[in-house]
Amino acid sequence: MLALLATESGLTKTEILSSVRGYAQRYVAGGDNANLERQFERDKDDIRELGVPLETIEPLGEPGDNHNLRYRIPKGAYDLPDDVRFDSDEIALLGLAAMAWREGSLSAESRRALVKLRALGIAADEPMLGYAPRLRLRDAAFEPLTQAIDRHQLVRFDYLKPGEERARTREVIPLALVQYEGRWHLAAEELATGEGKTFLLRRIVGKVTAGKPAPERPGDHMARSLAELEAVWERGVADVEVREGSDAALRLAHRRGTEEVAPGILRMHYVDLAILADELAGFGPEVLVKEPPALREAVVERLQRTVADHG
Amino acid sequence: MADKRHRAPARSVPAPQARDKLAFLLALVPWLLEHDRVTVQDAAAHFGVSEHEIRSSVSLVAMSGVPGSTATYQHDDLFDIDWDAFESDDEIAITQHVAIDDAPRLSAREAAALIAGLQYLQALPGNADRASIRTLIEKLSRGASAAPSQLAVAGGPDSEVLGLVQRAVTEGRRVRFAYLNSRGEREERDVDPLRVESIDADWYLRGWDHLRQALRTFRFDRMSDMVVTDDPIEHDASEMHLPDTLFEPSAEDLEVTIEASPAVIGLLADYIPDGALTSQVGDRIRTTLRVSHYHGLKRLIAGMPGTVRVVAPEQARRAVAEWAAAGLARYA
Repeated sequence: MLALLATESGLTKTEILSSVRGYAQRYVAGGDNANLERQFERDKDDIRELGVPLETIEPLGEPGDNHNLRYRIPKGAYDLPDDVRFDSDEIALLGLAAMAWREGSLSAESRRALVKLRALGIAADEPMLGYAPRLRLRDAAFEPLTQAIDRHQLVRFDYLKPGEERARTREVIPLALVQYEGRWHLAAEELATGEGKTFLLRRIVGKVTAGKPAPERPGDHMARSLAELEAVWERGVADVEVREGSDAALRLAHRRGTEEVAPGILRMHYVDLAILADELAGFGPEVLVKEPPALREAVVERLQRTVADHG
Repeated sequence: MADKRHRAPARSVPAPQARDKLAFLLALVPWLLEHDRVTVQDAAAHFGVSEHEIRSSVSLVAMSGVPGSTATYQHDDLFDIDWDAFESDDEIAITQHVAIDDAPRLSAREAAALIAGLQYLQALPGNADRASIRTLIEKLSRGASAAPSQLAVAGGPDSEVLGLVQRAVTEGRRVRFAYLNSRGEREERDVDPLRVESIDADWYLRGWDHLRQALRTFRFDRMSDMVVTDDPIEHDASEMHLPDTLFEPSAEDLEVTIEASPAVIGLLADYIPDGALTSQVGDRIRTTLRVSHYHGLKRLIAGMPGTVRVVAPEQARRAVAEWAAAGLARYA
């Protein structure tokens, strides 16, 4: 890596393998270096995943000539820009942000980011003991989806919509992952129709398969997706009657956006009727759904199911 | 809560060690260059690693370099350190360096992980206002070698309660609030606030409960009428050992056998004790849940209709059935 940073004109693969320590000892001039080349490919991936800008330059007049491709790491694109500096409050806040990830690869990524920022030499004032936030990654689909988004790949998965008997296979351009009200959603474009769709990760059944390169879709998909979810939430309105002093009365009243429209009647917002129905069913006799009828039916159906399963 | 088994589903996480090691070296070198001479001890403290790791990393750096024009790694093409100081005084001084002298950029995913974490913290009062979080996010984006991965987290807690707790922690005072526990009992609690914890959209206060004379965890959405009292706290976070798990198992816990569809096992992970026996029954997984009482259990199970079934004991099964039947009766 140092060699690639030091060179301005770049080095060819052969130059790297034959001269750089670690490779050179095992390099056979004019011989079969297949193992070494595979090692080089892996190292290249590692370096790129670390955020090191490894460039390839095609030799002049010989486009597409892979053999004489030159590799280099432009110093300016490697160094953290001079104006990206942090004070100790900011470092403390970043430490807390990193702490939120305690599962999955993002936990390793955020720790590595902090290690890099320590190069700047700022120590956090004091650890923020007062908070222990954490973001959960309980959806198996999360890792393969983030990877596919980063690598601009199409993905295919089976998705079970509430109310449908069987999961249906979807093929989409994955655009962004957003957590809204504690649940992870995938913002995507359906390949066949070109329509924008939001998928709830917990309804993805089985494996996510990443495939062919996906077409570019520039834009702030996160903001758009969150705004859409918020609009759905705004439109979704339910009125429920709650028993005074009950767990339901207290907890539903504490939900964001809930108002008491009449004594004992709460008007609340929701994104997903099926999920709200599950939640309300959990409150048993403490809740009576007034509106909308679809929610009422969904809750009744769930309670019947639970009674039948436990009869 | 820190359920190790649950982290296990091996996802395609790339071998972290080689990358972590390289990232560490890339950060260590510019830091050392910034300091003419530092002790191994200070470097270890700054990076939060062992002194052994610092020593072995410095040895590695000291032997690194570029092949140079002759591809023979001449002295000028190599890093060098003050070996005497390193070996006899445990001090590090880089006397010659090549190629790197500045902190490396973040990768797209590294930046995205921190940015999403910051968005999640946005609602925390007392840390930073939204404008400074925005500035920070913008700086992280510029400090990444590619546009940060598209990852976002919305939301935050009821900031009114959070604001009060924050004030109480800062001033070292107790809070008093009405708490409805999961048995449906409402009690006034006096609590020394120790830590605010959250899991996704659920927020909790961890504190010393004067009523129970023990550490307890309270859900934000079950608290009401909170006030910051004038009473000073008797316990603070530095003297209490706060376990990493939110809910601690107790000897009085009840064990319940359930059958659940594989898709929802993850949602139940907090209740499945370590080493629980698990078996496949048809397309369901049979395992054990540990709960403190059936009041909590019936709510949990009725809230996951069609996916989890209580098998035994009989009393637990009946508690769930009666709870759902009572709910159903309201629609009759």
